[in-house]
Order: sequence, then structure tokens, then C-alpha cells
Amino acid sequence: MADSAHPITVIVNGETHERTVLARQLLVHLLRDSLALKGTHIGCDSGNCGACTVVCDGRAIKSCMMLAVQADGRSIETVESLSGPLEAPDPLQAAFTRHHALQCGYCTPGMLMAAKTLLAENPRPTQDEVRHAIKGNVCRCTGYVNIVRAIQDAAGTLE
Amino acid sequence: MLLPAFEYARPQSVEEALAELGRHRNARVIAGGQTLLNALKLRVAQPDVLVDVSRLEELRAISADADGGLRIGAAVTYDELAGSPLVREHHPVTAAMSARLVDRQVRARGTVGGNVCLADPTSNFPPLLVALGASLSVDGPDGSREVAADAFFLAPYVTAVLPGELLVEVRLPPLAPGERVGYESLQLGTDSWALARASVLVRSNGAIEHARVVLGCGPVPVRQPAMEAALRGAATAESVEAAAELAGEDFEPPTDVHASSEYRRAMGKVMATRAVLAATREDA
Amino acid sequence: MSTPRHLDTWTPPAAAARWTGLELPRKEDLRLLKGQGTYADDLWMHRMGYVHFVRSPHPHARILDVDTSRAERVPGVYATLTGDEVRRLSDRYTQLAPEPGGRVKDYCLAVDKVRFAGEPVAAVLAESRELARDAGALVEVDYEPLPFVLDAVDGAERGRPQVHTEVGSNVGWHGVFDFGDVDWAVKAADHVVRIPHLHFHRFTSAPLECNAALVHWDPGTGNIELQSNNQMPQFAAMLIAPALGVRTDQLKFKAQDIGGAFGIKLTTYTYLTALALLSRKANRPAKWTEYRSEHLAASAHGNERTFRDIEVPVMADGEILGYRAAAYDDVGAFMRYEPLGAAIWSQVMPGCYRFKHMRVDYRSVFTNKCPVGPNRGYSRLQHLWLVERIVDLVADELGFDPVELRRRNYVPADAFPYTTPNGCVYDSGDYHRMLDRALELIDYDGARELQRDAHGTGKRIGIGIGSTLDSGTNNFGQARIVNKHLPFSGNGEAAICKLDLYGEINVALGTVPQGQSHETTTAQVIADALGVTPDEVLVQPGHDSARNSYTGFSGTYASQFAVTGIGAALGAAERLRADIVRVAACVLECPDEEIVLVRGTASVEGDEDRALTFAEISNLVYANIGALPPDVADTVTLNHRYVYRPPFEVPDWKSKAGNLALTYASQVHACVVEVDEQTGQVRILDYAAVDECGTPINPQIVEGQVHGAAAHGVAAALQETLEYDERGQLLNATFWDYKVLTAPDTPMFKTDNLPCPSPFTPTGSKGMGEGGGAPLHSICGALQDALRGTGAVVTDTHNPPERVWRLLRTPPEARVHGVESVSRKPAP
Repeated sequence: MADSAHPITVIVNGETHERTVLARQLLVHLLRDSLALKGTHIGCDSGNCGACTVVCDGRAIKSCMMLAVQADGRSIETVESLSGPLEAPDPLQAAFTRHHALQCGYCTPGMLMAAKTLLAENPRPTQDEVRHAIKGNVCRCTGYVNIVRAIQDAAGTLE
Repeated sequence: MLLPAFEYARPQSVEEALAELGRHRNARVIAGGQTLLNALKLRVAQPDVLVDVSRLEELRAISADADGGLRIGAAVTYDELAGSPLVREHHPVTAAMSARLVDRQVRARGTVGGNVCLADPTSNFPPLLVALGASLSVDGPDGSREVAADAFFLAPYVTAVLPGELLVEVRLPPLAPGERVGYESLQLGTDSWALARASVLVRSNGAIEHARVVLGCGPVPVRQPAMEAALRGAATAESVEAAAELAGEDFEPPTDVHASSEYRRAMGKVMATRAVLAATREDA
Repeated sequence: MSTPRHLDTWTPPAAAARWTGLELPRKEDLRLLKGQGTYADDLWMHRMGYVHFVRSPHPHARILDVDTSRAERVPGVYATLTGDEVRRLSDRYTQLAPEPGGRVKDYCLAVDKVRFAGEPVAAVLAESRELARDAGALVEVDYEPLPFVLDAVDGAERGRPQVHTEVGSNVGWHGVFDFGDVDWAVKAADHVVRIPHLHFHRFTSAPLECNAALVHWDPGTGNIELQSNNQMPQFAAMLIAPALGVRTDQLKFKAQDIGGAFGIKLTTYTYLTALALLSRKANRPAKWTEYRSEHLAASAHGNERTFRDIEVPVMADGEILGYRAAAYDDVGAFMRYEPLGAAIWSQVMPGCYRFKHMRVDYRSVFTNKCPVGPNRGYSRLQHLWLVERIVDLVADELGFDPVELRRRNYVPADAFPYTTPNGCVYDSGDYHRMLDRALELIDYDGARELQRDAHGTGKRIGIGIGSTLDSGTNNFGQARIVNKHLPFSGNGEAAICKLDLYGEINVALGTVPQGQSHETTTAQVIADALGVTPDEVLVQPGHDSARNSYTGFSGTYASQFAVTGIGAALGAAERLRADIVRVAACVLECPDEEIVLVRGTASVEGDEDRALTFAEISNLVYANIGALPPDVADTVTLNHRYVYRPPFEVPDWKSKAGNLALTYASQVHACVVEVDEQTGQVRILDYAAVDECGTPINPQIVEGQVHGAAAHGVAAALQETLEYDERGQLLNATFWDYKVLTAPDTPMFKTDNLPCPSPFTPTGSKGMGEGGGAPLHSICGALQDALRGTGAVVTDTHNPPERVWRLLRTPPEARVHGVESVSRKPAP
């Protein structure tokens, strides 16, 4: 079986990158290995856990379920785009800290990116809407309660 | 987790896509890849070439015919279906179902064409399309053909699309006056995949005049003619339940770690009842 | 420019005299929120190769031949490893079990035989992940399949296929725990309730991050650097070092951020050993990141336990005298932390109750399934579920109210510290108050009304209670109960607390946190001890055995950090404090007792202008060394290691009695479920989790642990299970089939915390976090309640829709697992 290599241009966190990728390379590996953006994580083999969630052209997607070559011409945002290491946390990140919405932190980047797209589409979600919006992001530490509270707080809909 | 090696092509038109598909013996179409990539990770599919049609504008349109029927491009995503004013107006159950498929990440990329062509027994669209009496437009080297949904799903993971062909459009017929759609699933977890599923198209006016009942979660979506016949004239929940006793007697749902065949068959009847009741509820 | 201090965005409440007890935002958060954490797969070393394991498809087979030649010929493949090599290059792992269970030969790759589907048989090291995987497919293994056992009860019988022929049977350990006189109690009681069979199913906490490691056997120094997410590195060292024939101090463990562990990342020493051998063979660092399917099939599972022939003597007024039962613990193909579980459950032998007469005939049984590991709630969960089921089934069978029956039998608040019949001391608690609060949170009376109103609607409502304990800070002397020769006793955790060159407070823990907020809670406690803010206390993230200090029991597991880890950090801080005071007293010319530590200075009480900053003190000890008089300079280091040792004696291995755990956190959960009669689907309508863990150091962090443990329990109760088919294949080997709980299916748990400080610990805190599995108990109880009147008995921890559907439909004659009672007096 032959591999094919493809030149792609992808904008990641506002920076344009030109790379040659093998057809079979997944976007998540491009981000983690080729671009050294380690914040996006891998938690499963089957596209179920959402730890790899990034934003592609404004939509939350699972980067393990997209080929790197399919990202050609697209604009990707990873968790690193929310605030730089020396910057203050953005309001969503600050809400996560206020509500203790992370423990081990492994699901957190994916959660943040999914939540970001939710709030962009629906700035004032109900509790139920938040819970459904993060259905594709598995957390094994928090039981989700504080994550839901944090997202609602960031949206101003926490009672 | 890792994919096998393959080549990748991104044709710029349906014509080019067909040419690409015709050039390779073992080519597969990829759009959103939300299930195909898993098949590749698990090595249950080993294509030579992936032909990416996700960006073909010809496959991404949604339009309505004068009679209210809908034409949905094969590469339309679940999100686009759910948000389309045309789909919400003419086929609200389809829009509602699309809005709750799996999770938001999958909905952003998964396509109706991918769902339909994969023909996984637990997929959402196949039983719905059969219930609606939908048709599927398939383009090939020899031109275009329409395949009725009833004749499209041949076996698990096998559809009427032949090698070298490409599904381009899904056509939903208009709902006639008094016709409503019901869709019920027994899921393991919210918005998860189903153990049993029923999709119905019912025309009623106090009593049921006509129904198409389809059970999913068997090898292929299966019409339930015995239940359909028994539903004619049904006007109460009890009579619908009684008719549903006739559902699912003619196919063998699988037994696996999640449920036995016996339970799935029993749940098929329950879902069929609930789907009909949902489609005939006064307030819906 | 420095990293922004987290306190910039949080203002402590005014008048807070102490940091302990405050809901301080976490120090860990910023790096994790920004995606700047460092997890094991993030690591990279020059020249490294990637590892892929070739695994057995058979549950049991002889290995006739392993041929790696085709794999080795592929360009870019650096090395392979087979079981034959492993047998030559390493010794079998030390076994914790005594004879005959201890005769097991366990290596890092299968040697001669494979014993579970998924067991690693060979390994490939190659220049890329893809190549390692593709080359792995070229390794040819010849198997001769053998008959296998998949059921522990059946497997314990004579004449079954043996997983380890050296042992002579499949029983890896057997012991009888007998306290009081249960035979007398059964004869004397007014009623005896018989429960033939109860089953606790196999599941896993499945941390989101899989096992991963980058191992480098340095050809220059001979040291083996293991950057991995193993959660108990010194236990791993004690097993790896003899196997590889190296010193334990040659094993350098490092971890920074770990994506959850829950006990499942404890027995990975086998994989680390294989990586070390590959690294040495290829003279390259070896990196391995486990796939999820490998994690589910071949890392570790939670213990599966079957209870049989349960008999419960009960008096007419509802006093439960105790119980007797046989227990079969399915430990899988190898005992890699077992059979410690065979003693650990006895920490909670009577659960929350005053039972006086108990006997458990306990067997650890090998099967051809994945080996078990100490999954969250290790071994106590299984037993606590048995006890709660007993209480609920006694109530059901004899017509008692399950709430009243609990009140009648709980250990009362005034009985603490309470010594159980087997010598365990429950330090503090108030189960009655917690029960009241849990029922209040779910509006118990309203729920009963809802239940009545639901009659005939096709839905049944059930209310269930789960009372449970989270015993923490183990007495490792309990190991002698399973094997009297094991040289383990007590417990101990180490920490270093020092001032650095400019007076910065620096703490290094022996623990290996995986989300439990050790950096934050430690900083809170140390800040109080040294009169500073938590922001001024740097707790080294993660674990580094070269930098941190440790004991044989170091790690993060078994609900003990708030006692052992904090105890160690506090002890070290107190010694540091004494040094600071001595230097300040000397320079400021006053007695030690007049020095106070306030706002980062050591000053004379009542005369704050006479003060030294910590920076000045450090300067005198580190750089201005000639300025202090010898009697002070000789005794002050500003750098202290402290080992916290809980007060334990060695248990009596013969009677199996002793104080096996220092603290007993508790939880009482109440839940309201709705059962769909047509489908058997269960929906949680309301859920309350009331917990007690002594003095909370950070209540928000405590609550987070309660949420997490509760979610794991709900998941196992309704969705998550690990099941094998008749061919010994795991059916739930991906997240498609292992249905992890997602947000829409997780209740927004109502919580409350009712502290009962522990009299035995440095801060009054108790270890917590594992949770005790209360949702398993409460959901089973609620289902039992919802099924009242049908005669159905909930006998399994796992109740997916089909099982509930069948329970609703099983006609009485067909009930195999029926409960019955023999009564000498009529039930009330």
C-alpha cells in the first residue's frame, strides 16, 4: 500500500504553516508532533473521548478524526490560543479555575475549545444546553458538575 | 489509533471524483470521515485511495422543490441539516434528529452521505430515509440513477452504490397533508448509539389512515408490513401497541455485549409504538 | 517577568486567619488550562524509538515459537524483544503471595505461555509509531491454544484448567476471616436471611490518559531513567530492580502531570521493565504510549468479586448480628498487587454498622483475564457493596424500612473512636446525621409521594441509600495477613521542606499526584505553618525520585495524602521553622520562644521592627556562612526531610485482627431513580452525596473528589462493564463498547460535607478521594425499592436496561437468586 505525501498550508493559532504531510497522518499528530503544540491530547483510539478537540474554521472538531491533509487551507485554534504562558487566563479559563473545573487537566483543553464554540453560538446557554454541548468531551475526574458551573458562569447564566 | 497507508485525492468536481474512483480498484469516498476514519483505525477498511469529496460545492447544497420535497447534497453536514431553515420547515424531525446526533464535534463534520453510505446497522439516517420513502441519487461513469431507500441498504456496510459510483444527493419527498414523522431510539446513554430504533411516517386524521414503519438496528432497516396493515384504523394507544406486537418478527437482531437479540426485538416493538404515538400526538 | 501569580485573580475572604480550610484556587491550574502541562506522551528524547507490543489473541495458550526476523528486516526497526530473551535477561517478579500462590512465574512478556487475551508476547522498537505498529504485524507467533477459565467460582473447583500449573489450583490465596461467633448468632437469631449469590462486576476507572513512558537505560552511568505516569514509583522500583538485577537507586522515576490514574496506573511495572530491556538492547531511549484498546484489555481491571451462601442473623427488633459469606475474588491472570486486596477489604468488614459476628471465607482466584489492579476503592468497594446489599435485602425480606434499619444498626456518633470486631479503629464519624442530611437533600418525603403517584404510569420510582467508608492511610502490616513473611509494616510518606538561596520556601513531596491538587493543599498548610501566603510556597510539580524524597510506600493512592503527604510536609516545615527561629533568635538576641513567623519574616513578638526576612536568614546559612556562631551554624540546615509515620502496630497475622487503616472518611448517598417498565431504562431523578473526611483543607477540592468518585460509581452501576465472551475475548475494548459516562448522563450531584475531625491525624483531616463506591450501593438500593412487589432481587452491581427489564419480568418460579428467610418469630 503506497503512502502519498501532500503539501498543505494550515493556519494554526493565527500563524501560517506550510508542511508536507503523509495522507494517513491525523491532524492531532500534526499539531502535537510537527507543530509541538502539546496541549491537545489523545485519550482513545476511536474518536469518542474528545480530548483532541480543537476549533476548525470556528467549529469544535475532534482532531483525531480529521486527516492533516484535510486541514489544508483551514484555520485551526488550539488551547494555546486562549492565552499565552505569560498572559493572564482568558475569562473562560478563569471561570474554570474559580469553579475547580479541572483536576488532572487532561480533558481540559478539549473542554475549553468545545465550550468556546458553544458560547460563540449560544452566549447564554442553559444548564441542559451546556451538558449536551460537552457530551463529546469525556472527563474521568470531575464528574462534570464543576465544568458545567464554570461554563455557565463564564456565560453569566449560573444561578 | 494509527491509520494504514493510503493515497489521498481531492478532486475539484463530481466528474473528477468519478474519474478518480474509476481509476482505482479499491478506492473509498471520504467526506467528514467521522466513521470511516474509525474503520481505518480498526483496520476493518483498507482502501488504496481516499477520494475526498467534502469540499465539493455540488454536494453541499440544500434546496426545496416546488412541492416541498428536499434535495440534500451528500456532503451536507449534520449541523447544516439541523440549522437549515428548509429542513426545519419541511422535515422537522430530520432536523431535530440531526441536531442531537452523537456530539457537536461529530455534527460539525459528519455528513448525511457518509452516514448513509456506511450503512452501519445502528446509524440514524437509514431507517429514517426508508420510512420517508426517500430516494438517493447515485452518479457513475454511465450517468445518474435514482435508488429508492428501500432498495439502497443491502447488508451491514453494503449499499447499492457500486465501486466507481458516488452518492451525490438524498431526496426527501414532501410530507403530504396530515403526514407526520416519528422517530424513537433506545440508546445506551444520551445521544449515543442505539440498541433499537423505529422510524415511522404516519398519515392520520383521528385514526391512522396509512403508515410506513421501519425498524433499525437489524442488519438493514426493515419495513414492517404486518404492523403497517394492523395500524390502519388505529385510534388509541392500545391499538397501536397491539399492532406493534407484529413488528420485528421477521428479522434477527444481534446479540452482543450490550443486549440480547430477544431484548432488542422486544424494544423494537416498544420503539415502534412510541414512534407512532409521537407522530400522532395532538400537540406535536 | 514571572509567571502570573494565580492570586492576582482571586481575593481571599477578609479576616481569614488561616489558609487551611479556604477554597483557594489551584496552583496547578494555570499551566493545565493553557495546555502547558507535561504528560508522559509529551516527552521526547534524541534518538528515541517507539514501542509497539505484540499481543496474544488467545486467553490461554502455549507459545511454540516467536519469529521476529521479518520485523527486524524492516529498515527503521531498531530492536525486538521476546519472552525467551526476557527469561534470559531478567528474573521473575517477586510475588506477594505465600506458597503456593507465590510460585507464579511472572515476567514482563509472556514466557512459555500466554494467560490472557492481550498479554504482551513480543515488542518492537522502531523509528516511528507507525513503523513500530506495522513491523509488529510482521512478528509471527505460533500458539497451541489451551483450555481456559473465565469464572472465578467455577475456576476455584478442582479439575479445572489451571492458569498457573505451579500453583496446583487456581486459588492464589485463601483465608478465613472469623470474628465473634457467627454460628452462634445464626442459631440464636430470630430470623436468618439467606442470600445465595451476589456479584460485583468488573470495571475500570479508565483514566483519560493511558499509560505511557519514555525509558532510557543510560549506557554511561547504568542508570535507568523512567519518565512515566506510574503512580507508585517506589513499589515499581521494588519489583523492577530485582527483576533486572539493578539497584533501586539506579531507577530514576520522573513524572510531572498525570492524566488521572485511579489505581490503574500502579501495576505498570511490567511494561516499564520491557521498555528498559528494549532501551538497553537498542542503546536508545524507548517510548511507549498505550492505545486505549490496550489499556482496556491489558493494563489492569478492578476486582470482580462473587459472594455466595450469605447468611444474615437478624433479631426481631431489627438488630443485625452480623453475616457469614464466601467470597471469590477474580484477580485475572497474575497477582501484581494482589493478594493485598485479600486483606484490605477487612478494613471495613462491618461497613458502617455495629455487626459483632462476621465470617468471610475468602479466595483470590486466577482466571484467564486481564490482571486486576487497585482500582479506585480497591477491595473495600466490593465489600461495602455486599454489606449495603445485605442491609437492603434484610429490609426487603423482613419488611423493615431500609432507612430505619440503617439507623438501628449504624455505629452511633458517640461510639467513636470505634473498634470493630477485627480490631480496626474507626476514628470519627456521624452516620446518622449524614443520613438525615442526604434524605433532606433529596426531599425524601416528597420522593415517597412521587413514588406513590407513579403507580400505574408505566414508570416506577425507587429511593436508595448507599452508606460507605473510605478507609485511608493503610497499615501495610496488613500484608502479613496475606503473607506472614512480607517485611512490611506501618506506613510512611516523606517530604522535603527547605528555604532556597534567597529565602524561597520549597517543598518536594513523595507523592505522585494525578489531579488531587497536592501543590495547592500542601501550600495552604505550609503557608499556615510558616506565616506566609500559599503563593510564596513552591511545591515542586509532579514527582522526581532524584529530587524528591520517598519511602517504600510513596505515591498517590489509597486515600491518604491529606494525612501522610500533608503530615510529611508539615513535619518538614516544622523542622524548618525551628531552624528559622534559631537563626532569628541568635541574630535578634532573644529566646527562641519569642520569635514569631509572620508575613514572611521572623520577628520578635511584640516588637515587629526587630525582624529578619527569610531571605536574610537564607543568606546567613548559605552565603554569609561565617557570620553565625558555630553552635547555631552547626545545627541549622534550612533543609529538612521528614517522614510522617502514622501510629500503627503490626496486625496479628494469625487472627487477622489489627488496626488496618488510620482514618475512616465516610459517605452517605441517597438517590431517586425512575425505571421505565417497558424498557428497563433507569434515569436518576435526584442524587445527594454527603461526605465526611475530617477537617477539610480545601472544601472545593474535597467536593471535586466527591463528584468524581460519584460519577465513577454511577457509571459502573448503569453503563460501564468489562465482559468477556465464551472465547475469552474482552468485548468492551474500545470506548464504543466501554460506555464511559458523559455529561448529559451525570447528575448535578447535590453535596454536603459534615466534618468530624480525626483525633489521630496531624491536622484532623482524613484521607479521601476514592469514595467507597456509594452510587453502586444507592442505585442498587433504589432499583430494589423500585422493584418492590415484583419479588425481583438486585444481585449485581451492574444494571443496564436489559438486566432491569429482565428483573421486572422474571416470574417467581424462575428466580434463581431468590432471597429467603427462616424465621423463628414473625416479622414486624
